[in-house]
Amino acid sequence: MQRSKSIITKTLYFATLLYFSYLMLLITLQYIPLRLDVAFLNIKYDIIDQKFYQLAFFSHVYTSIFVLLIGIVQFSSSIRIQFPKVHRLMGKCYVFLILVISSPSGLIMAFYANGGMISQFSFVMQAFIWFLFTLLALVYARNKQWTLHRNFMIRSLALTLSAITLRLLKWMIANWLEWPPMDIYRLVAWLGWLVNLGIAEIYIWKSKHLRVV
Amino acid sequence: MRTIFQLIVTALLFSFCSDNIKNHNAQIVVEDGTQTDTPSIQMSDRQMDRKIDEAEEPKYPDLVGNWVGYFERDDDQSREDKTLYVDEGFVWTRENKINISIDQIKNGTVTGRSIVAGNDRPFKGTMRITDEGNHHFSLKEPGDHRYDGEFNFTIIDGRLQGTWTAYQDIDIKKRKYDLEKRSFRYNPDVNLERSKQYVNWNESLETIERVEMDENEFEEWIAQEFATATDLIYTINASNTNLTKSQVENLKRGDLTIIRNTIYARHGYSYKNRPLRVFFDAQSWYIPVHTDIKSDFTDLEKENIELLLRYEKNASEYYDSFGRG
Repeated sequence: MQRSKSIITKTLYFATLLYFSYLMLLITLQYIPLRLDVAFLNIKYDIIDQKFYQLAFFSHVYTSIFVLLIGIVQFSSSIRIQFPKVHRLMGKCYVFLILVISSPSGLIMAFYANGGMISQFSFVMQAFIWFLFTLLALVYARNKQWTLHRNFMIRSLALTLSAITLRLLKWMIANWLEWPPMDIYRLVAWLGWLVNLGIAEIYIWKSKHLRVV
Repeated sequence: MRTIFQLIVTALLFSFCSDNIKNHNAQIVVEDGTQTDTPSIQMSDRQMDRKIDEAEEPKYPDLVGNWVGYFERDDDQSREDKTLYVDEGFVWTRENKINISIDQIKNGTVTGRSIVAGNDRPFKGTMRITDEGNHHFSLKEPGDHRYDGEFNFTIIDGRLQGTWTAYQDIDIKKRKYDLEKRSFRYNPDVNLERSKQYVNWNESLETIERVEMDENEFEEWIAQEFATATDLIYTINASNTNLTKSQVENLKRGDLTIIRNTIYARHGYSYKNRPLRVFFDAQSWYIPVHTDIKSDFTDLEKENIELLLRYEKNASEYYDSFGRG
């Protein structure tokens, strides 16, 4: 019973995340072939002519989908135990993409985020914390401090998944509360990652207690 | 139990936003007569044309000009089925604001135009003086348009009253009207009045609610919510203020639509789109004068229209979908 339950939970976990990754893929595909007048870029018209912004935006969009997919798969214990080499290689890709591309490009975009100071500050913080947690997770893996490595990777993934939470919350608020668009945006800019980090902390705290027991 | 619950939640999420990264059916109404890609001629040109006409024809100053009011249905049979009941307190009995513009009266021959519901039609006919000493007009539209017909009216004590009969077998064949003389002048400073709510009945969200009436007895209530606008439409003027990104980005779609269309209304644009027409017809200052205002916009208005359209498009595609713009 316990075993079948955990299988169902796992399946649900992966199915849900894969479904939302599929939606994220659809969002990414809007920007292929490379165009400056679609979707999100339509309301970035005041900055999109700048080459540095284009570079930041497209490197962020094109790499983030891989970060998301790798991040989700890395939490599969079967891959980690049966194919540790695959886990290590994919982990390196994940860390590399975040530290070198996704987080720095996210930081550049954060300075020009819609919604003014409130959302800009949120995205800047997020970019820094994402970088920091991912870097710490890498350092702890090098030092073979596995529990700390695991905890910081959970935090890093929580921030990676904020791409989904942000959009899901936006969708819910728009449909149920029908707030004005930029008010929603400012709110989910914060909730998108704070909610995820909260869940991650609860998860880490719970598993620590389970282990002690 | 928990797994079943999770399963349901997940299934719900999936069904709610299946493929929902963008609203692919998003449509923004921009009627042909309001496109902004033509260079603007001087506003006064159109008025100059008219002035010359008027200068040549100083006769009948009390008769020549714009006669404005409601063009109402004049058929009592089957009235109910053509009336539109949208919501509590929102009824449209298919009346439209009309502008009968008498342009010239020369030797008993009358020429002019009627502008109503996005149609600008010329007419020609005769004028005679009745036994009571009033002016009576019989005017015919050319007949090459589906909604052409014949006007018969008399001007009594400064009011133009009469009927209209369609040539073809259309939905509403007979109309009546009681119009007053108004002069049209573009005024960028005029703002909307709180006369009629904007209700776009073409777009609605239906919610079905199950209400327990008695024990184990349920009744389904179907509520419709229509796309509408907020109070911001009364304060934001896109004809005399340079709208900024921060002013526009937080507006909902209904507001963006109305603020943009109010620019057209100030220029006397006659709407084809029904919800917009019903809304602007109710504005006391609004007079339908043109069906093509492409070259009438000021540069300020063009900039604002471009900005508003950008956010309108974005709001209609992404406001309530998973993807974002």
